[in-house]
Amino acid sequence: MTALGAAAPRRDADPKVRGTATYGVDVSLPGMIHGAILRSPVARGRIRRIDTSKAEAMPGVWAVITASDAPSHRTGLKIRDERVFAADLIAYEGEPIAAVAAQSREFARRAVAAIEVDIEEEQPVVDMDLALTDDAPLVHPEWESYEPVGDDFPRGGNVCAEMSSDPGGVEEAFAAADHVIEDEYRSQRQYQAYLEPKGVVAVYAGGRYTVHIAHQYPFRVRDRLAEALGISSSDVRVVGHHIGGGFGAKLDVSLEPYAALLARATGRPVKIVNERSEDLITCQCREDAVFRVRSAVSSDGRILGREIDVLINAGAAGTDGPYLASIAFILAGAPYRVGPTRVRCRSVYTNTAPTGAYRGVSGTHVIFALERHTDHIARTLDIDRREFRLKNLITDGDALLNGQELPDAGIFAKAFDAVEERAPWAERAREPYTGVGIAATVWLTNSQPGSVILKLNEDGGLGVITGATENGSGAVAMGVTQIAAEELRISPDQVVVSMPDTDTSPYDAGSQGSRTTHVVGRAVGKAATELRQKIYEIAATMLEAAVEDLELVDGGVTVKGSPGTKLTLAEIAAQATARGESLAATGTHATPQPKFDPTCASGLLFPTFPTPTYHVHLAEVRVDPVTGNVEVLRYVVAQEVGTVVNPLGVEGQVQGGVAQGLGYALWENLTIGEDGRYRQRNLESYRLPLATDVPRVETIILEHPDEGGPFGAKGVAEPPIVPVAAAIANAVSDAVGAPIDAIPITPQAVLEALGRSGR
Amino acid sequence: MQLTLNVNGRMRTLDASPAATLLDVLRDELGLIGTKEGCVEGECGACTVLVDGRPVDSCIFAAHAVGSREVTTIEGVGAVDATPLQQAMVEAGAVQCGFCTPGFVMTLTALLDENPSPDEATIRRSIAGNICRCTGYSQIVDAVLQLSGGDR
Repeated sequence: MTALGAAAPRRDADPKVRGTATYGVDVSLPGMIHGAILRSPVARGRIRRIDTSKAEAMPGVWAVITASDAPSHRTGLKIRDERVFAADLIAYEGEPIAAVAAQSREFARRAVAAIEVDIEEEQPVVDMDLALTDDAPLVHPEWESYEPVGDDFPRGGNVCAEMSSDPGGVEEAFAAADHVIEDEYRSQRQYQAYLEPKGVVAVYAGGRYTVHIAHQYPFRVRDRLAEALGISSSDVRVVGHHIGGGFGAKLDVSLEPYAALLARATGRPVKIVNERSEDLITCQCREDAVFRVRSAVSSDGRILGREIDVLINAGAAGTDGPYLASIAFILAGAPYRVGPTRVRCRSVYTNTAPTGAYRGVSGTHVIFALERHTDHIARTLDIDRREFRLKNLITDGDALLNGQELPDAGIFAKAFDAVEERAPWAERAREPYTGVGIAATVWLTNSQPGSVILKLNEDGGLGVITGATENGSGAVAMGVTQIAAEELRISPDQVVVSMPDTDTSPYDAGSQGSRTTHVVGRAVGKAATELRQKIYEIAATMLEAAVEDLELVDGGVTVKGSPGTKLTLAEIAAQATARGESLAATGTHATPQPKFDPTCASGLLFPTFPTPTYHVHLAEVRVDPVTGNVEVLRYVVAQEVGTVVNPLGVEGQVQGGVAQGLGYALWENLTIGEDGRYRQRNLESYRLPLATDVPRVETIILEHPDEGGPFGAKGVAEPPIVPVAAAIANAVSDAVGAPIDAIPITPQAVLEALGRSGR
Repeated sequence: MQLTLNVNGRMRTLDASPAATLLDVLRDELGLIGTKEGCVEGECGACTVLVDGRPVDSCIFAAHAVGSREVTTIEGVGAVDATPLQQAMVEAGAVQCGFCTPGFVMTLTALLDENPSPDEATIRRSIAGNICRCTGYSQIVDAVLQLSGGDR
């Protein structure tokens, strides 16, 4: 029996399919009351007066709190620019102004509606280019006083963060160019749209806060909540429950400070759950971006040099923006050789809801822009688009723009070949209004630390205690579970992984950047090495054999060469317990930062792509010349994953990631009005992909085991979303005979493009 | 206002405001929290239950409008042993975060009751009112095809 690579059902599938799995929003505690938040209806303005007296007098109301009842200091992930409540200047629609606790959700919402707020509206700063003009009002007039977390970085005025790199040689490249090709690409915001809205239950007792949530990163909530409340992180306990999807939106603190303050004010457990529209507005969705690029190109099909200028919209708070500003620079060096490349990326403050992490952070719009531009170059040079890519493809040992070498970048060529074998490019008989597009990217496996405690239970089953979170991807319910089973030669259904609890779980950096299977898997490997040794030591005394003569076999330990002398793990564990000896072991892992050139750029806060993976996508589409609708006829993915831990899990990540990418490319659209407010405010106007919209993706998995393990596995979950908009936009541009340089590709955009091309 | 409901084969009498939705009553009054609240606007399908065997969005279905009809929730499906549909969903990888899963189970249970061997297009049409953000739907469709013997 081997657990690794098996299409084993995930450990949480049975309770989920029967409806017995309890999620964050299902948590209910004795004496619990309900909270709701009054959020700003305007994007920018000054609070002249808040009157809570009517709300406080309403039946069933326990407490009403505002800025005067909460800490006023600012906190943040990289720049401390967020407050619990707006006190004077409002910076975005949805910014919290007050919070209420009441006997029921309905009472709380009615009380929120009864709070009187007098706001003097101001003209919001909405457009990023306008925000950067000299006379633009500042979103944060006091930006200079804001403290960074750790070292400071380039920023100023409405520039929340600036990453820049100028390697030299760019001007020379443009001087030597046969062609200079210039483009501007625009991409929209995307709502993560997890099915479980954000929610929290907070308890205050004995001087400590206990917070129940469904969250990707409980340890960050512990630390960020403590920082917001000005208390020690040991005074916060975060308990994790099943997560109804997150996709990056459940990586930072959100409702927790309000529930905690209300719990303290009332002495009762307080639950807050977002309404869907509130969730959509304040979720910290994927940022909108403007990507400007100029390439110096030779007639023989080489990119001699390039200049890239990117604006990413932070909204009214930095959140992840200072880190995301590095992504364009890293991705610009792959998968094609580009020559000297000047890159500037600015995260821009505007009076719009803060943006943040979403699966494939920034990569979706960066690859959309770069791969559209690649098509433009190939068409200008009259070279076949696939041929051009292959000619310029990087290979083993080539480096990214940060100097990080990619020892295995030759996988790109294998992935292009694999796609070619499945869906040949040249032989395609093209019907009218159909088109084909191809796109490729490198992606990372996030390196941040993870840890586990393994304990062999008295029945021979294995407990895995960890702060790692199962966000739905299967990284814990399949990945960590099957890796642990393989390490101990037991069946996955003998492994129980704990839910996270910051009081008792060892540290974990959350389900982000496809890291859990890889990083926590490696921590499991280290702990298993120690645990096996302890098992052998007990078994050695029981079998009167030397430790080095023992080996682990399915379900027990034998003496090498004499399989008859077998002890089961249950017998060994029971013996250890009776003797008072431990069969527990700890393991922790963080991937070392790959070598890179720290002088390559300034403001490079996300400097490398550790444990890289390689991806090629192909899309075939048909556009309807009457309606402008795009139909995806075929979608092929070649994805490198290191080693497959569970084929059902890998398949699920590819199918689901591509579906989210198709939504981003074609339908999902958060647009912002001149008033700084979202135009789409619920799941009716925000159009998510349905079962009738998305095709079955053809998945080709490439294995190329990572040296460090676990068993060679790398990250899987994020990258399937990254090249989708690029592949689709290239295919649609091909189908309509005119460039599509903005997403989502609406029917109107298709019809306009057909008008331009005359098809 | 007194309300008597037939839920999963048992009669339940309780007090519910005239405005209460079926979802409110199931989750808050009867503690049947397997039915999920995703949007409260009838868009996502996470709250799907069966009323006389037909799938409805319980978040926009007035509790007092149920009358004598039978309500079936996820707790009434496979309570002891998982149904073949549930088992197929487990084996096909049709579950990721699982928050939408009870709604899909209810919709597909109704589909299979009506048509034991749907083809892929029929399956996809039947679940067009249920949103899944994780799976991209293919493995959910696979689970049903495994049962129905239908073609991809």
